[in-house]
Amino acid sequence: MKKLILITIVILPLFVAAQETWVVPETNLEKISPFVFDDDLIKDGEALYENLCISCHGTVRKNNPMVFVPSPGDPASEKFQSQTDGSMFYKINKGRGGMPGFEPTLEEEEIWSLIGYFRSLNKAYIQPEFDYGDEVLSELAMALSYDANVDKLVVKVTSNGEMKSGIKVSAAVKGLFGKYILENEETNETGIAYFNVDRKMPGDEEGNLTVQVRAQEGYSIKKTEQTMQLVEPTVKTDLIAGRHLWSKALKAPIWLIVVFNLIVSCIWGIIIYIIIGLVRLKKVS
Amino acid sequence: MAETNGNRARDSRRNFLRNLSVAGSSLLLAGCSDSSSGQSGEKIKVLNQNQELVEVNASDISPASLQADKEYLKKKGRTGVPGRKFVMVVNLAKCKNARQCMKACQGAHQLRPEQHHINVLEMEDEKTKATYYMPKPCQHCDNPNCVTVCPVDATFKRSDGIVLIDNERCIGCRFCIAACPYSARTFNWIEPRDAEKYKDIPYDMELNVPQKKGTVTKCAFSADRVREGKLPYCVSACPNGVYYFGDENEDLVTNGTTRRTVRLSRLLQDNAAYTLMPELGTKPRVYYLPPRLS
Repeated sequence: MKKLILITIVILPLFVAAQETWVVPETNLEKISPFVFDDDLIKDGEALYENLCISCHGTVRKNNPMVFVPSPGDPASEKFQSQTDGSMFYKINKGRGGMPGFEPTLEEEEIWSLIGYFRSLNKAYIQPEFDYGDEVLSELAMALSYDANVDKLVVKVTSNGEMKSGIKVSAAVKGLFGKYILENEETNETGIAYFNVDRKMPGDEEGNLTVQVRAQEGYSIKKTEQTMQLVEPTVKTDLIAGRHLWSKALKAPIWLIVVFNLIVSCIWGIIIYIIIGLVRLKKVS
Repeated sequence: MAETNGNRARDSRRNFLRNLSVAGSSLLLAGCSDSSSGQSGEKIKVLNQNQELVEVNASDISPASLQADKEYLKKKGRTGVPGRKFVMVVNLAKCKNARQCMKACQGAHQLRPEQHHINVLEMEDEKTKATYYMPKPCQHCDNPNCVTVCPVDATFKRSDGIVLIDNERCIGCRFCIAACPYSARTFNWIEPRDAEKYKDIPYDMELNVPQKKGTVTKCAFSADRVREGKLPYCVSACPNGVYYFGDENEDLVTNGTTRRTVRLSRLLQDNAAYTLMPELGTKPRVYYLPPRLS
């Protein structure tokens, strides 16, 4: 607690100067995202938030930001959500006082993914449609295959039905808790991007992996997910198979059951033998 | 004559019983057909426990009873998530004793502040006297001593590697506490935190809530969360990127803070990972990456 007070006293003057409301230039207020706030983008935003923002802004919906003046604010709070997308973008981009500007470290798409994540906390929010103006969004299509000759995953991308070089393609293997990024590539002249896949990576019983591929040309993004045979078949073993966990007779090792029963029957045998002997003795006497 | 009379009497009793059973079953059948004829014909779509969309008659739907819930939770708790082998990697170089993992864990598992499923310990290196912090959850051993000694099959290991406790079977003998070399288990000596509040909640074995006085409790690898594909409470609460959690079968682990997914085998090999007390042959499912003493 003492530490906290000390930190507050040291940091406080930094913020006093910046106490007045944060004015965002009007031209920036109306800025909206060219990227659609879909589940993938929101997930990326969440990861960024937990990496870069959580230390000051606190856990979302818990309203526990650090005690700073002005308060960093909880992204799920009403005050935070009442801002426009453009205002959020400007503030993350430029920063002020204790809030660092992320212009040099984050890509534009990453900042929009953060805003997408904030907006996912607000059920009433509907994403405004971006006016792409003269720029025509290209229609991307992808075909995935495995080429045994080069031992690589082959992604063929067509833009408006034509092969094109320089389209950004990234491929990842889907895991239970996240995706394992294979590589970020660009298509060559024939519209193909190659990805290395470790053949030793475990797949299912048939050697299948679920691959997620994302292609981007300008603002046009295309994602696809496919389960395909890329690795050697894997045999999964059961951790509780066999008789090594003893708490149930069903699982106890057979030698243990045999030895136990032998000892018990031996003891009973001896007792019965003694009793019979005693009875005989009595009869004789 | 008397004998014949007796036989007749027995016959008639038999007949009576036979008639009664026929009448009973026809009544039962009538009851069943009644309920089916009483349908409104309206069908609605619902998600079942396996996350499949199924269609049911609107008239058949009634709120799930507590008993049915209990049975389901019991069965779920004993069955591992198919095809998974959960594993945790703790990067000691990153731990700064923020203790957020402990907080999240105690919140989720209805623990008192002095009870720990995961505890961050301050360690001292024998030679250099340098200190570092070591979070210590249950190691979810593949060869668990606690399970071996339990006389009532209250603590058990699942096919996905998680060791759990059924506190409705637990008799409080504390053999498992004595058997565990990692001191991962704690005992509810007194009424658990907020016992009144949790009183009417059906017992969820995967969460081990509500806690019960006189039973043992321990880390559950957040079995309830991982079943849904979410990272455990402690892992996602860490602000310093200490924890990786994943599936050994996939050879992938995901960092709880950065959400970066990496290959488990490579992570362990490249960083000289170790397990606690390997000489005991317990085969823990929690790996540690060494602290960098510099």
